[in-house]
Amino acid sequence: MLIRAVAIVALLAVSSVMAFAADAERTPAPKDAKVYIIWPPDGAVIRGGKLWVRMGVRNAGVAPKGVCLPNTGHHHLLIDTDLPPFDQEIPSDRQHLHFGGGQTEARLEDLPPGKHTLQLLLADCNHVPHDPPLYSEKITITVPPY
Amino acid sequence: MKSMMTNMTLCLLGAVLTLGVARAADRTPAPANAYLYVGWPNDGEVLPANRPFRVWFGLRNMGVAPKGANVPNTGHHHLLIDTDLPPLDQEIPSDRNHIHFGAGQTETTIELPPGTHTLQLLMADYNHVPHDPPVYSKKITVYVK
Repeated sequence: MLIRAVAIVALLAVSSVMAFAADAERTPAPKDAKVYIIWPPDGAVIRGGKLWVRMGVRNAGVAPKGVCLPNTGHHHLLIDTDLPPFDQEIPSDRQHLHFGGGQTEARLEDLPPGKHTLQLLLADCNHVPHDPPLYSEKITITVPPY
Repeated sequence: MKSMMTNMTLCLLGAVLTLGVARAADRTPAPANAYLYVGWPNDGEVLPANRPFRVWFGLRNMGVAPKGANVPNTGHHHLLIDTDLPPLDQEIPSDRNHIHFGAGQTETTIELPPGTHTLQLLMADYNHVPHDPPVYSKKITVYVK
């Protein structure tokens, strides 16, 4: 009984150390930073499915991937998907667009007709979200039938 | 005598041209289709006095990098207030009329006294020198009342 309790305590200790280690590797988020979609507004109707998404960040700066400076990050645009795990690299695919060149606007050209969600998530020089993570509201836009 | 003068003039001209070329070669190239614009406020906007307003920097086909980060096709923003473009082959001055955003900021908040003011954006490379070709926005006018 005692051994089991000790084992559980030890396990807890180890897991909390591991959790701490994982957290320690993440880049701290700039204080008061806010990520938001400047345009389009939530609920926008986008005819033709082509648009520039204007990516906003306040109280923090933009730096390309690989440039590790405090209070900076680069934008990721999440399309029709939920937020990914925050303790690892953001996936790179058609639903997770990386802007490692330090871009602040994203051109979308092939959104099919229907409803789509857009959300921004900032990540550090290694593509891992900050701690705490900096992400925008998730907005919904509609592309009418062509 | 005249031909000597002409020779000297030519020599001088050559030296100046060479210097000019050397300088131009030092400048960081910019993407030909880079487009910089003041996203907000609009040209001609009337803004209330004694109230800070946000200026949002719009940039397409190019990226933002903090000062000191030498990454191709990037630069950092400079906001020119009530002034013309500075010389494009040297560091942008840093004063009340030339605000640097070397931390990679893409927007700012400013307050201006009542009156007519101009705003213009100019990108510069990691050394604060404008690109070649230079990337700058249209100069807009705002009215603070």
